[in-house]
Amino acid sequence: MDFSFTDEQQMLRDGVGKFLEKSYDFDTRQKLVNSDAPWSADAWQQFAEFGLLALPFSEEQGGLGGSISDCVAFAELFGKHLVIEPYLGSVMLAGSALAQSGHAAAQEWVEKIVSGEAVAAFAFEEGHGTASPELVAMTAQGSGDSARLTGEKRLVHAGGDADAIVVLAKKGEGGPLAFYLVEAGADGLDARAYTTIDGRSAANITFTDVAATELGTSEEAVEKLISEAIIVQSAEAVGAMGALVAMTGEYAHTRKQFGVPIATFQAVAHRLADMKIAYTKARATLIYTTALAESGAATPRDIAILKGQIGKLGRAVGEAAIQTHGGVGMTDELSVSHYHKRLLACDTTFGDHAYHFRKVGMG
Amino acid sequence: MMDIVPARFAMAGTTGREMKIEFAPELEAFRAEVAEFFATAPTPAIREAGRKTTSVFAPFKECMEWHRILYDKGWVAPHWPEEYGGTGWSVEQRFIFAEEYRKADLPPLLPQSLGMVGPLLIDIGTQEQKDRYLPGILNGDDFWAQGYSEPNSGSDLASLSCRAEPDGDDYIINGSKIWTTYAHHANRMFMLVRTSTEGKKQQGITFLLLDRIDYPGMEIRPIVGLDGFPEQCEVFFEDVRVPQSGRVGEENDGWSVAKHLLKHERGGGNAASPTLMRYCERARAAAEKTPSPFGGMLADDAVFQREIGELEADIASLGHFEKLAISGHEIARDPAFPSMNKTINSELVQRASVLMTQVSGVDGLARQLEALRVGSNVEPLGSEFDLVSMPLYLNSRATTIYAGSNEVQRDLIARTVSGS
Repeated sequence: MDFSFTDEQQMLRDGVGKFLEKSYDFDTRQKLVNSDAPWSADAWQQFAEFGLLALPFSEEQGGLGGSISDCVAFAELFGKHLVIEPYLGSVMLAGSALAQSGHAAAQEWVEKIVSGEAVAAFAFEEGHGTASPELVAMTAQGSGDSARLTGEKRLVHAGGDADAIVVLAKKGEGGPLAFYLVEAGADGLDARAYTTIDGRSAANITFTDVAATELGTSEEAVEKLISEAIIVQSAEAVGAMGALVAMTGEYAHTRKQFGVPIATFQAVAHRLADMKIAYTKARATLIYTTALAESGAATPRDIAILKGQIGKLGRAVGEAAIQTHGGVGMTDELSVSHYHKRLLACDTTFGDHAYHFRKVGMG
Repeated sequence: MMDIVPARFAMAGTTGREMKIEFAPELEAFRAEVAEFFATAPTPAIREAGRKTTSVFAPFKECMEWHRILYDKGWVAPHWPEEYGGTGWSVEQRFIFAEEYRKADLPPLLPQSLGMVGPLLIDIGTQEQKDRYLPGILNGDDFWAQGYSEPNSGSDLASLSCRAEPDGDDYIINGSKIWTTYAHHANRMFMLVRTSTEGKKQQGITFLLLDRIDYPGMEIRPIVGLDGFPEQCEVFFEDVRVPQSGRVGEENDGWSVAKHLLKHERGGGNAASPTLMRYCERARAAAEKTPSPFGGMLADDAVFQREIGELEADIASLGHFEKLAISGHEIARDPAFPSMNKTINSELVQRASVLMTQVSGVDGLARQLEALRVGSNVEPLGSEFDLVSMPLYLNSRATTIYAGSNEVQRDLIARTVSGS
C-alpha cells in the first residue's frame, strides 16, 4: 500500500503549483479580494484548461473521471495560496449534484461547468449549525419540473454571481432530501451578496415560491457529496496550515528581541513544535481518510473525525501563528490573518469541531 | 498555457499505483486467522495479564509466556525484516494484526528487546553480535534492560558519567544507572558508558551490550513507583569487568548509536493507537453503567460525549500517522518524526487515563495492589475497569518524562520548524 501521490497526481500538483506561484501570489490575491470582481475569471479559465473543472466528472459527461485523491492533490495548493474561486461550490457540490441527475437540463449545466462557461452555486446552509444534511428544513412544494421553493439559504458561495443554483431541500413535509435546480434570475429569488471573512463572494438567498426543477437524489448520494466536499475543504485547510507553519518558523528565526531570535525562547519554540504537531496530525488524517474514501470505505465516523480534527487543529495553528508574529500578525497587510480566517471558515462550515467531536463520542 | 492534464485522465482505465486501501477477501481471511489464534492461543493467565496491564510494560512472567507463543507461531516481530524472523506481512496485514491484538485485550510485548536492541543490531550490529543475540531476542529466552539514565543525567543524557575504562580485551565499569525498567527481570542489558572526557560530552560515549546482568560487582535495586509497583530499578556497578566484544559501533561513538536506537524507541516499531482506542472503548463501556450526577448515564451526557469524541479523534489521527509511517510515507521521513510520534502518543496515554479515572470516580481511590496481581484470588472491590484505571493514570505520568521528556522533544521539533 502506498499513501503517496501517484506520478500523475504529482504532475498535476506541480502544474497547478507553478501557475499559482506565478499568478496567484498574496498581493495579487489581495487586489482581487478588494476589487469588485467576485473572483478571477482568468484563474477560473486557467483551472478549466488544467482540467480541474472536469476532474470529478465521468468521461460520459465530458469529465476526466478523476477521483477524490486527485482533487485532494491540488486542493492543498488552493489552501496554500488562499484561492477564492468557487471550486468547492460550483464543481464539487453543485456540479456533482447535477451530474448525479438523469435530467437533461442538469446534464447541460454539467457541460457548461466543465468548460468553465458557467458557474453553479450550492445552497445548503440554513443558519447556525446546519452541520448535517438531515438538519435541512427547507421544504419544496410540487415535484418534477414544476417544483416550488420557499425559504432561506445562507452562506451560498457565489450565490449572487452564479448562473444556476442547486438547492438541497425536503421533498414535501417530512419527505426525503432532494436536489432542486434554480436558474439565476428566477422570479422570487432575492440574493443579498457579501464577501466572507476569507475573501469569498457569497450570498444569503431568500426564495419566495421560486420555480425549480427536481433533480432527485438519495440520502447516500447527499452523504457522499458532502463527505467529499469536506475532504476537499480539509485539504485546503491542511495547505493553509502548512503555509502558516513554514512562515511562522521563518519569522521566529529572523525576528530578534532581547538580541536573539525569538525562536530561541523555549515558550516560543514549544509553540512552534505544537504547530508542527497539529499540522502533521491534520495532514495524516487527511491523507488516510482520502485513501479510505477512495476505497469506498470511509464511514460517517471517519468523516466526523477528519472534520473535527481539521477544525480544531486548524484554529490552533492559526491562533499560534498570530501570537508568534505579535503585532504584525494582527494586520490585514500580512497573509497570516488571512490564513487564519480561511481556517475559521473551514471549521465553521459543515459542522464545527464541537459538533463533530460529539458525534464521534456518541459512538 | 500548457496542457498538464495527466495522461491517465485522458485514457480510461489506465491506473497504475493508486492511493487506495485494499480490503481484499484474502485480507479478511487473514483477519479471521489472526482473531482465531488470539481467541485460542493465550492461556487464561495471559488474558488476565492483558486486562491487568496498567503500564506500557505488561506483567513480566505472563508477557514472556505470550511472547514465546507468538514466537512459535512466527508472529513475534511483524516489524522486523523477514530474513531476520519478521513476518513479511503487507502493511494492511500489520494493521489488521494490531487491530485484532487490541480487540483481544492481550498484554503488549515488552519493547526493549524486540523494539529497540533487536532492530539496532539488525541495522548496525556485527555478524557475531547478530548471531549471538537475535535468536534469544526473538524466542524470548532473553530479556534486555536499557541502561541509559543516571541520577544526574536525565534529559541531559549526554552528560552521563558511568565510566568504562579499557583494560586488555575488557572494560571496567564504575557508576550507576537509574530508571532501568524491569532490570530485576532481565538477563542482559544494553547501556551507554563514558569512555572519554575529552571534547564535547557527546563524543566520549560508548554503546555496550552486557551479556549478563549478574556480573560480579553489579547490583540491582527495584524502585517502588507511585502506583505501588516495582517497575523501575537502580543498577550499581563496582569494578564490573565486561568484554569489549559487546561494543556496538566504535568506541566514543555511542551517541550516534543511541540516536539511531532512539528512532526505534520513539516510534516506528509498534503502533500505540490501537491500545489507546481500546482504553476509550473500555471507558465508554464503563460510562454506560455509570450514572451521571445530572441524571441518566454518563455515556449519554453531552459533555462526556464531546470529551471522549475529541480524544478518540486525536487517537485516530495518531493511528493515521502510524499507518502512514508503516507504509513508508514521506511524513515519517521528517527528522522530527520520532519526536512528534513520542510526544503525541505519550500525551494521549495520559489523556486517556485521565478520562478513565473520571469515569471511575471514587471507585478508583481504593489501593488494590493484591487484586491487581495476575493469579490473585482477591476479588476487586468494584469492576475490573475501576481496578486498573487509577494505577494506569498514575503510571502514565511517566510517559511524558521517559525516552526524552516532552520538553526536550519539543525543543527538537521546534528546531525543524525555525532552523534556530
